[in-house]
Amino acid sequence: MAEMGSASSGIGNNNTRYPYYYGPEGRLVLVDSALEAVSRGSTTIGIKTPNFALISSHIKPTKPLVEPAEKIFAIDTHVGATGSGYIGDILQLIDEIRLAAQKHRLTYESPIDISSLAKHLSSYLHNYTIYAIRPQAASIIIAGIDQTGVQLYQVDPSGTFFRGAGFAIGQYSDTALDLIHRGYSADMSMEQAIQLGSKAIEKALGEERPLVETGIITAKDSSFKKMVNK
Amino acid sequence: MTTIVGIKTKEGVILGSDKRASKGFFIGSKITEKIAKIDDTLAVAIAGQLSDAEYMIKVAKAERRLMELRRGFSLTVKESARLIANLAYSGLKNYHPYFVELIVAGVDQEGGHIFAADMSGAITGEDFASSGSGSPIAYGVLESVYNKDITNEQAKEIATKAVAAAMERDPGSGNGIDVLVIPNLLMVRERVIH
Repeated sequence: MAEMGSASSGIGNNNTRYPYYYGPEGRLVLVDSALEAVSRGSTTIGIKTPNFALISSHIKPTKPLVEPAEKIFAIDTHVGATGSGYIGDILQLIDEIRLAAQKHRLTYESPIDISSLAKHLSSYLHNYTIYAIRPQAASIIIAGIDQTGVQLYQVDPSGTFFRGAGFAIGQYSDTALDLIHRGYSADMSMEQAIQLGSKAIEKALGEERPLVETGIITAKDSSFKKMVNK
Repeated sequence: MTTIVGIKTKEGVILGSDKRASKGFFIGSKITEKIAKIDDTLAVAIAGQLSDAEYMIKVAKAERRLMELRRGFSLTVKESARLIANLAYSGLKNYHPYFVELIVAGVDQEGGHIFAADMSGAITGEDFASSGSGSPIAYGVLESVYNKDITNEQAKEIATKAVAAAMERDPGSGNGIDVLVIPNLLMVRERVIH
């Protein structure tokens, strides 16, 4: 990129120096675009209590005769994940953490902990933010269980990751997250959480009974399961 | 050469070793430390090539520390043993085997564990284990007195006895005994940094 460089420095205010990375406000424009793409993806949520974690994702209606896409993915026996954004990017990221989970089993003969998975995904995504290439347009929500209990993570295209009890990504995720936030309590039952999740997606979409896929993991049996579509 | 023993009890794990390093028919050292502490909850007893064992222990130490920092809690004993066994196995398959027989002993949330690891890359979980040229003699003692209900104090005595017996009849072992006791954790589950 030597032909684009000028001798003067300054990251934000010199738009000839780093054209592919920083915008005038010092933001990473490609990452912002990826986040924008995610915010147009299907509404996807995650809820966690000390006893279980649940992930749900809206499946956009398909053409007649076309089967709807899979949106809840088993990563390992004790972990599941879902995402919002470009489905091709989601699948790529899902495969990346599936690989990380199996590598851990080979190296340590034990199931991987969820923070390691989130951190692995974070550094994988971060790699796409430091070169003039297209960042992955997908946010991923990971639910699983390890020695430290039930875990829920959200990982964004920038590589930023969050640990928490409630997440929403994709279309109208603010509405969904607000609903989850208001309806959440740590001692809620699984049924209540499932209801809260689907209500959040319904409200976000403004649509009655949307097609939603859900996955759950409980502290009791610690194996990730996809639920049958309603 | 060498005699090392490892014993599992309900209260923790015990490692014992002699202190002789042989150079053929010559005693190279009389004050060798064959029990290497990896950290407060894990230790390895060494039989075989000391240089190889030292390297493996250094790697295990670094990997364990790294993992603890990254995920917020340390590797279990089995995870650590598997890590060491993988290293041994890759050495074997690259025609540069690590000439070692190790006893990996430690405690984690599930209690005490003893693993026997060797240059083939295999690991076996044991109640008690012995390695080195004196091991057949040490095993004679261990087999006759070990049971699952002994205390750490009793296991310390058994380990000492087993190594002492081997030192009496095995020319590759001698010059004193080292014992290390690793008591069980107080079953603290949360010590997690995020």
